[in-house]
Amino acid sequence: MSFRPSCDPLASSSSSNTWSPLVQRLEQEQEQRQRQQQPRGGGTMVPPSQYGIKYAVHIISSHFGDLVAKVCECLLRRGPLTHRNIVRFMEISASQVKNCLLVLIQQNCVQAFSVEHPGGDEDESRRSTEYMAVFDNIIHRMRFPKFVAVVSQELDKECVELFQGLLQHGRLTLEKMIDRAKSGQEDCPAQDATRETLSKLINARFVERCPDPEPHLSPPSEEEGRARKRTKFSKVAAEPQTIEERVLAAAAPMEAKRFLTIFHTTTEEDGQKTECSFPGVGEKRKCDALESDKELGSDGSQVLWRVNVQEFMHRFRHKACVENVRERLDGGAAVALNAMLETSRSMEKKVKTDNAGPLTINTIYEEVMKGEAGRAMTLDHLRASLVMLGCERGTDESYQIDLKNIIELAQNEEVESVVLKRYGREAYRIFRLLSKANRLIETDKISSTAFVDKTETSKILFRLWKDEFLHMEKVVVTGPRQTQFLLWKVNKSTLWPHVLDEMYHAALNLNLRVAYELEKENELLNLPIEKRSGPLEKRYNRLRTVRLLLESSLMKLDDAIMLFHDF
Amino acid sequence: MKGFLAKILLNTMSKRKRPDLKVPAPYMTEQEKILYNLIQSKQDLGIWSWDIKRETSLPDNVVDKSLKSLRSKLLIKEVVNVQFKGRKHYLASEFEPSSEITGGKWYNDQGFLETEFINFLKDQCLKHIRNLKIATVDTVANAVRRSRVLKIDCSSQEIGDIVRALVLDNDVIEMRSNGLGEFASVPTGRMCYKCRRSPDAMKEPRVGVMAWIPCGVCPRIARCMPGGTISPMTCEYYSKWLDF
Repeated sequence: MSFRPSCDPLASSSSSNTWSPLVQRLEQEQEQRQRQQQPRGGGTMVPPSQYGIKYAVHIISSHFGDLVAKVCECLLRRGPLTHRNIVRFMEISASQVKNCLLVLIQQNCVQAFSVEHPGGDEDESRRSTEYMAVFDNIIHRMRFPKFVAVVSQELDKECVELFQGLLQHGRLTLEKMIDRAKSGQEDCPAQDATRETLSKLINARFVERCPDPEPHLSPPSEEEGRARKRTKFSKVAAEPQTIEERVLAAAAPMEAKRFLTIFHTTTEEDGQKTECSFPGVGEKRKCDALESDKELGSDGSQVLWRVNVQEFMHRFRHKACVENVRERLDGGAAVALNAMLETSRSMEKKVKTDNAGPLTINTIYEEVMKGEAGRAMTLDHLRASLVMLGCERGTDESYQIDLKNIIELAQNEEVESVVLKRYGREAYRIFRLLSKANRLIETDKISSTAFVDKTETSKILFRLWKDEFLHMEKVVVTGPRQTQFLLWKVNKSTLWPHVLDEMYHAALNLNLRVAYELEKENELLNLPIEKRSGPLEKRYNRLRTVRLLLESSLMKLDDAIMLFHDF
Repeated sequence: MKGFLAKILLNTMSKRKRPDLKVPAPYMTEQEKILYNLIQSKQDLGIWSWDIKRETSLPDNVVDKSLKSLRSKLLIKEVVNVQFKGRKHYLASEFEPSSEITGGKWYNDQGFLETEFINFLKDQCLKHIRNLKIATVDTVANAVRRSRVLKIDCSSQEIGDIVRALVLDNDVIEMRSNGLGEFASVPTGRMCYKCRRSPDAMKEPRVGVMAWIPCGVCPRIARCMPGGTISPMTCEYYSKWLDF
């Protein structure tokens, strides 16, 4: 008896021999098209999506008002612009634009930079200042409570208070921090205490020096040439960066300076305040009008400090990996992974590190024993857990783990969960088949491998394709009879941004619903407590429950947004 | 259910019946002979009526009439092609349709999936994988055979199809053996399977964050916007979710 082809997606079947070379050709052509379509200067930073921008604008609007939000939106949609162009596009006064930019720069949501524009035949080149919205920092504003929670767990109350001040004000000099701590008292210990508190935050990498307020960008051709230069050690030229990446890289302080805890303060006796220093704590955010754009930069003599978001992203990424492993495997594997990540965190240069390790078994075991959960773990149990994690083992019993793979698995689970809830179990099986195969598969093969009736398979595939979960290609085979085959694939390079955009949309909706529920019960909220009795108290309790549910859902959804955007 | 029970209780049928040589062949017209020879040449794969018309170049009404006559003489039979259920597919009577046409063990005579049989096999395989802790397709197939729960023989390849369906259901994890620890009994590089969760755990996979909120499961999210026909303020799903 002849059997139907194996359900192993990688196994070729006799019935598909006629078109499998065609499928391979199609895939190769598709990959070529994707490479050609990549924007010049691809880099790794993806421009924000439609709902990403709407969500970011909503955050700015809630925190700083509509005018600042509109300036921010202009920069997010149009890219970096000069002050003059912003005024032109916004059709508001120059001073209003300037004030909005000041607020956004103060809060690390905009980064200024200068560029040289080559002149014409007889004109000299001229330099102008442009302003670029930093989308990531805007979204990070929703995570401030999570940052505070991390600092609370590790440092003392004074550190938390200082840290909250930095979150509130965006960036502060040591002097401003001392003023804030003193609250008007002439107190020497306050100065030392603040310095010590700031040192603790810097040493823990929770706080960093602010970037250069206005770095200069060389013309793109020079920088691209340097980036593309082949050395004898590299086989592939480095990918040119996007303008956003170039600006942030140019602005970033040197690693040696970034966490340098040498403080310089100017007191009222020693120094003079400049005419255009950053607004003091508690003052209104207004500057005297000056013609030059330099007023929008900081005073170079005073070091500005801000929250180091990268450290928190590292920690959240590690936490997400550990929780995924705990749920997918078991507690022992989670303890082993946590130990590896704690040990290797200081060595990680960037958030999206592919691997953790290699680390020797003894190093990992030392770290495991520090935690309560690991004290009962034997060395053999640890070895078994490391094997279960799929760690690569070196000759000296060192272990390395692929973090990128764990993140991908977590992302897959998130999307598969949506498919299951939205389209049902059969669609879930079909989607998982295509996701695992990572190549084009024909309808009949999907039907037979996933054990879904063929008619139902076609309906499900079309629904998923219509909602942009799947990519579809048609193959027409000419012969005695012309036959059309439909091939399907999960294309993560387009699907993941689509899912992320839906998450931004959902986050925006949660925010809007909270605002709507509070607005609806505005009168009830303004009532004194003693007047809230009977049905009013019931409504108040309902409102409290609703708000808790919506806001906690938003925090959880933010974890999923980080999974797709930041990790 | 009838087909499912048949697979559990009966033996598989042979591919081809021997023609009874003592019964003389019924009379056929010239057109009927052309059609019968063509259908017989296709053996157990059979042929679609449209293809018959194309290959013989006979007028449609002649083909239809001849096919009806051949059927009444029991020389040919119509079968369901599982891939194209709406098509009229013909086989010579002495042949049994191949699994390419019927779909094999997984389909009934009407061309529909034997869902109950498949689910039964899945439960059996899951039970054996749970008992074995770490299993390969071969060890699961042997365990199913030893249990004698099926009267028909399922090959390792067919059991493999079922096990891989369990992977798609996320009931079972597949991984390659590295020969260490719990994989010590499995040769390095061999694909093996492990239950994803304990029998007491919930049947459904963990619900993701996005799937937990109304927007995550909404099929109309693309059309949702403030002030629109569908908006977070007027959303029915939200209202039900917040109905305390």
